[in-house]
Amino acid sequence: MRGEMFRGVPWLALLVLAAVGVCAAGGEGLLPFDPGELDLGSAFKPPWWIDGGDWGNALGADNLGRDILSRIMAGSRVSVIVAFYAILFSGGIGAVAGMVAGYFGGWVDAVLMRLIEIQQSVPAIALALILAAALGPGLSTVVLVIVLTYWAWYARIIRGEIMALKGRDYIAFARVAGVGTATIFVRHLLPNIFNTLVVLATLQVGQVILFEASLSFLGLGIQQPDISWGLMLSDARQYITNAWWGITMPGIAIMLTCLASNVFGDWLRDRLDPHLRQL
Amino acid sequence: MLIVRDLRTHLHLRRGLLRAVDGVSLEVAEGETLGLVGESGSGKTMTGLSLLRLLPKGSGRIEGGSIRLDGRELTGLSEGEMAREIRGQRIAMIMQDPMTSLNPVFSIGDQVGSPLRNHGIARGTALRGAVVDVLRRVRLPSAGERLGDYPHQFSGGQRQRIVAAMAIGCTPRLLVADEPTTALDVTIQVQIINLLRSIQEESGAGIILITHDLGVAASLCRRIAVMYAGQIVETGPVRAIYRTPAHPYTQALLAAIPRLGAKRGRLTAIAGQPPSLIDPPAGCRFAARCPSRMDKCAEAPPVVALRDGHNAACWKLVA
Amino acid sequence: MSRFFGRRLLQGLFSILGASIMIFVISRLSGDPIVMMLPNDAPLSLIEEMRRNLGLDRPLWVQYLIFVQHAVVGDFGNSYRWKMPALQLILERLPATIELAVCGLLFSVMVAVPVGVMSAVNRGGWVDRVGRVFAMLGQAMPAFWVGLLLILLFAVRLNWLPAFGYGSASQFVLPAIALGWYPVAAQTRIVRSAMLDVLDSDHIRLSRALGTPEGLIVWKYALRNAAVPLLTMLGVYFAAMLGGAFVVETIFAWPGVGRTVVEAVFARDFPVVQAGVLFTSILFVISNLLVDVSYGLVDPRIRDAR
Repeated sequence: MRGEMFRGVPWLALLVLAAVGVCAAGGEGLLPFDPGELDLGSAFKPPWWIDGGDWGNALGADNLGRDILSRIMAGSRVSVIVAFYAILFSGGIGAVAGMVAGYFGGWVDAVLMRLIEIQQSVPAIALALILAAALGPGLSTVVLVIVLTYWAWYARIIRGEIMALKGRDYIAFARVAGVGTATIFVRHLLPNIFNTLVVLATLQVGQVILFEASLSFLGLGIQQPDISWGLMLSDARQYITNAWWGITMPGIAIMLTCLASNVFGDWLRDRLDPHLRQL
Repeated sequence: MLIVRDLRTHLHLRRGLLRAVDGVSLEVAEGETLGLVGESGSGKTMTGLSLLRLLPKGSGRIEGGSIRLDGRELTGLSEGEMAREIRGQRIAMIMQDPMTSLNPVFSIGDQVGSPLRNHGIARGTALRGAVVDVLRRVRLPSAGERLGDYPHQFSGGQRQRIVAAMAIGCTPRLLVADEPTTALDVTIQVQIINLLRSIQEESGAGIILITHDLGVAASLCRRIAVMYAGQIVETGPVRAIYRTPAHPYTQALLAAIPRLGAKRGRLTAIAGQPPSLIDPPAGCRFAARCPSRMDKCAEAPPVVALRDGHNAACWKLVA
Repeated sequence: MSRFFGRRLLQGLFSILGASIMIFVISRLSGDPIVMMLPNDAPLSLIEEMRRNLGLDRPLWVQYLIFVQHAVVGDFGNSYRWKMPALQLILERLPATIELAVCGLLFSVMVAVPVGVMSAVNRGGWVDRVGRVFAMLGQAMPAFWVGLLLILLFAVRLNWLPAFGYGSASQFVLPAIALGWYPVAAQTRIVRSAMLDVLDSDHIRLSRALGTPEGLIVWKYALRNAAVPLLTMLGVYFAAMLGGAFVVETIFAWPGVGRTVVEAVFARDFPVVQAGVLFTSILFVISNLLVDVSYGLVDPRIRDAR
């Protein structure tokens, strides 16, 4: 039974995710260098395998001589924090909205569907821009934008699941037997959509990371002196002719993290909820 | 015209080698209709597909035997030669379900014209006239005005006429009709049967009618071949097969048809299942279900010739 | 058909109305909108006049109606940075953005269709396998990073193509690839699975049985069927292009709506931000509407069903 459970686990993807998690949780103690420390002497120092590079700054240094590896490790913290809050709130709001709309139907459902349509008529980045203009850029703005964008995705899918569940006999029996609505939600509906929620949340991780990086790159997300992968790329961009490693290394960190969470999400989906495959 | 000798078609599946067609021999003369009758899974459709060499990609292959059409051996032809010179031009096929046999996003004018274009029968401005002409031959009402219409605008019977038009456009020598009426209403079945009959009278093409329905076969065919588990167990004139079936399987098949005036509720189904074609039993394949099984049936039965080209493969007839 | 179109049009209008409320509410989130609509050094008299004009002393819903009233006649206020009406600025920048979005979409479709078709025809073959690896990678690379890598490789290293700017045909190449990169994977998957379905259908079997050359079967008879699901999604992808344009335009110094709005955010040029965002949303809704109409052209069943 236990052997069955772990069959085909994408170990490599899990390893990458674990590494990101350790970097994010480990704090300063893990880092080879202080990520904010300037060392103009080693500005634009290349990675170790290129002439002029050494293991001290394994992935090279940026225009101010800051160690790129340390900054990438430190930058994982922002990705993890944003992903956590964004997924918690968008999943939570979306799940509740979807459950309520799916269960009660009628005008509640109609209102929700219209809201989803409205939400989907504004591109996420445009929403981010107007929010950043109104509230100022920052981590909370990033989280807010992602929540506003993704709740509809959860709501739509959960609504469909609930509508299918509602037709089942045991839900109907519970209603006839006079079981309270709150009890039905917590005891009968929530456990049934739990797998779906987990799968959706895992699949969202990669997209959240890409989104945070994009916003920070544009200057609408994380601000200096905080460290984020997108921000690192934005800084390195003007030195693209001097130091190619400045724009490749943080990008690779983004790509590997996304790839790992997508692979893991796909595996989890096939395990727990194969009918979501068309997403 | 068509002579098939000892045709063997195998499907290489993951669970083993499936002998879908295992030593089939048959002949179709010009203007003749041969009924190929059998249960589903008996290999009759696979026999039809083998003639056109349209076997499942990757897994299906003709392993042996010969297919000669007007003296030309088809088994040695390349895929390109089959497509250019045989399919649609010399041998054409009509599929089972008219509702799905037409491409939903192309006009019927385009689809009926396609074989004519591809085989160089008609091109350019002449094409339209040729298409209308073919559609008239299958008696599609107001054909000239409907070339731009799409399949969903036609009824099931009309669609089967359109499919037939696609098949006879290049006046093929042989028409393989795979259950052409199964998916249709009874009244429309009759119309399509009449249509096939008139097509044959006009063009003199040979027809192989693949069906599980002995009634349909009887109304259209002069001769019938009965297939069981990848082999032909009995062939002969319709009359002989119906009146004096020689093979126990044919007898059982005929007994299973509910007849008008028969005692109510007496539908004799054949007990048991046909054998797996992945590892078929040696000897007679019907032996396990046969009421008159003998010890000898463990060996392959010989084909025994009866009167008037009627023959069957059964030990019972040797004695 | 026209009734269907009418209903979709109404739905679209409703969405745009909703979007305008959303934009209005967000722009009031920060408190005094006057502060955002005027430069920091605006004279007090101007602030007072603006306050009166916008009716900020009245209830919020009245304020919204005033906002809509102004928006309908195209009045989003003046861009203080560019010294011209915000809407006019956006409209001037719009063609460049649409050109880029169309090129990006063209790139993605031009890659996705052949790869999807060949993956389906040769299922499990090398195109299928390589395509799958690229799809996984593509989904994990943000558009702006793809843009940077393209600049690094083709502009800095190889010096084949210009790194930024707008005007000549060669300047379209890198931005279009960067923009079209992300949706390629999803589009390939759609084409592939649709082709697999179609190639297994009775009408394709009949086509084959009648000697239609394999090339025609795949690229004509099967592909038009498989195009229907892709077309239904094109509106979504075009919309994604508009979203991606904000990032890609910024990297490639493309004089479009996206870059203008991003710059306006930093310049606190709020009228431009409002006009730009609302306009993108309208474009977004229109593109979805157009696709609903256009895919009736490909699938006659849908055409008649309306």
